[in-house]
Amino acid sequence: MIITYEDIIIKTLTRVLAPFLQLYALYVIAHGHYSPGGGFQGGVILAASFILMVISFGLDTARRRLSEKADIIFLCLGLLIYSGTGALCLALGGNFLDYSQLVKVFPVTVAKARALGILFVETGVGFGVMAVMTSLVYDISTGGLPPERE
Amino acid sequence: MEVTVLIQATDEAFKIIDEARNRALDVLNTSVKFTAEAKLLEERKIQSIFKGAERTKSEVLSFLATFALLFFPFWMPLSGYFDVFHLSIGVGCCALVAYISHDLLFVNVRLGDMRTIVKRFFAYIPWLIYQIYLANIHVLKIVLGPKMPINPQIIRFKTKLQTDISLVTFANSITLTPGTITIDIKDGEYYVHAIDEAVAYDLLYGGEMEDRVAHVFMEAEHVYVQDVLDVARIYGALR
Repeated sequence: MIITYEDIIIKTLTRVLAPFLQLYALYVIAHGHYSPGGGFQGGVILAASFILMVISFGLDTARRRLSEKADIIFLCLGLLIYSGTGALCLALGGNFLDYSQLVKVFPVTVAKARALGILFVETGVGFGVMAVMTSLVYDISTGGLPPERE
Repeated sequence: MEVTVLIQATDEAFKIIDEARNRALDVLNTSVKFTAEAKLLEERKIQSIFKGAERTKSEVLSFLATFALLFFPFWMPLSGYFDVFHLSIGVGCCALVAYISHDLLFVNVRLGDMRTIVKRFFAYIPWLIYQIYLANIHVLKIVLGPKMPINPQIIRFKTKLQTDISLVTFANSITLTPGTITIDIKDGEYYVHAIDEAVAYDLLYGGEMEDRVAHVFMEAEHVYVQDVLDVARIYGALR
């Protein structure tokens, strides 16, 4: 159980920092194919913003912001995006995650198609990692008990 | 005999008239009540419509403000790619984040005050840096002195600041200045660890930093030195 302590400094700074943290995570995900970073790192930063909210505002407030149901939906969505990209390549006649086959769907060059495929996959990975990390923290802080009201 | 019959008849008649009047009153009362209730319901409906509209308006405003604040000064320098593809990704990401957490950044802030606060805040930063520079020299003297004349103490003082953001700004300004660390804010009182008497005395009886923070965030019910100076200039020009 997480006991909330009324600390005005931590709460206010969390409030101000959280949107920037989330946007930075999305930046890391979206630019993973150009610069250091990628799906996993971005997902962890995105999860960190919610974990910060769990720590500073308490579990209930964080759950109101991102309910466990939405968490599971994000988890499945991430997995769907990842495996969907792989399966699309498979369906287009290549190997699993063979991004060069995406040329047949999107009007771009082969190199651009590879970058685009990596972007799709990393978006999926990012959502998945974010959802798993957040649900891990939820489970740890509730002791695995189901939420009473949702 | 006839008289008693007559009296009885009059009594009956009066009774009937009373009953009829009571019934009429009841009907009137209920009808008045119903109309009042209907009026109240209607008023409430109108009020709720207005309130809902106001809330939606403020939500949209805070969404737009958060979006602008995230996209232009944060996403564009980070990204560095200005082609259509990356900009559209940026717009999508900023919209997502602004949708998720538009109620976090701007709480209890009137949009008109925002410009003044930002202007005053950027004017406050150079002064803060100068204070940090002064405090650095003071701590350097203490540390390099052969006797090391430190006298660590925790001081507690009341504050006149009220809003969260000004409390936090003042607390972090204290922590940024060498020699002092904010430990806690509880019930409008600061608990600050100070390295020696001079610093503690400054915080307890000087209060210039607090005054400036109050000026930045436009705290009510408080006369600021800066405002007095501004007014004095105008007053002098008028004379």
